[in-house]
Amino acid sequence: MNHIKLLFFATIRDRVGMKSLELDIPTDLTILQLKEKIGVDYPNLKESMKSVLITINREYAFDEAVIPLNAEIALFPPVSGG
Amino acid sequence: MTDTFPTIYSITEDEIDLNDLLAKITLTSTGAAAIFTGMVRGITSRGAAHETEYLEYESYVPMAEAKMKQVADEIREKWAVVEGIAIVQRIGKLYPKTPTVLIACTAAHRDTGVFDAARYGIDRLKEIVPVWKKEVGPGGQEWVEGDYIPKPGE
Repeated sequence: MNHIKLLFFATIRDRVGMKSLELDIPTDLTILQLKEKIGVDYPNLKESMKSVLITINREYAFDEAVIPLNAEIALFPPVSGG
Repeated sequence: MTDTFPTIYSITEDEIDLNDLLAKITLTSTGAAAIFTGMVRGITSRGAAHETEYLEYESYVPMAEAKMKQVADEIREKWAVVEGIAIVQRIGKLYPKTPTVLIACTAAHRDTGVFDAARYGIDRLKEIVPVWKKEVGPGGQEWVEGDYIPKPGE
């Protein structure tokens, strides 16, 4: 198993109702598979998973990326700073 | 050479001090600074007209500061003439007329591309630096979402 930390920001945090979460996932899970799992575990986020941005250890990551051990994964909408 | 050129990047809850930042990116060889600052707009007439009571900003701070450093590195790659760079984003609850972001680039002369460098800085910040704002007005509150999807390597 792989113990990872999830961080939620902005609309994603509001919908899931928490800032962060630690969980165990199978090793070699991809970002796409993680999104599917989150959509099942947190139905409020299912729709958000279509357009969410995801980072692994503070770098943008994409569907095919395999999640490394003890990763810090963040989920958030397109940014709106300035 | 760039080792001696100051680069400042930060997410802060404090007031943005333009004079202090400008002093820090001004070298003896500097003769020009291009500064962009954005502030909270209380009355919007372009597009869907509305009023804003305040904006509430949040950030994924460690990643945001790393991406600001990346924006500064990209500026230096494109405009080698740029001397100092300051990129600061204020977060928290911010009211109309309050400066929220500042990008400043300095160079020896104004005709070196330094205006373009600052413009690039604010445009890139709005694409890749993880900061979000919730807009609160008379009609309620709403998260503002951008539309840029970063590409691999960004």
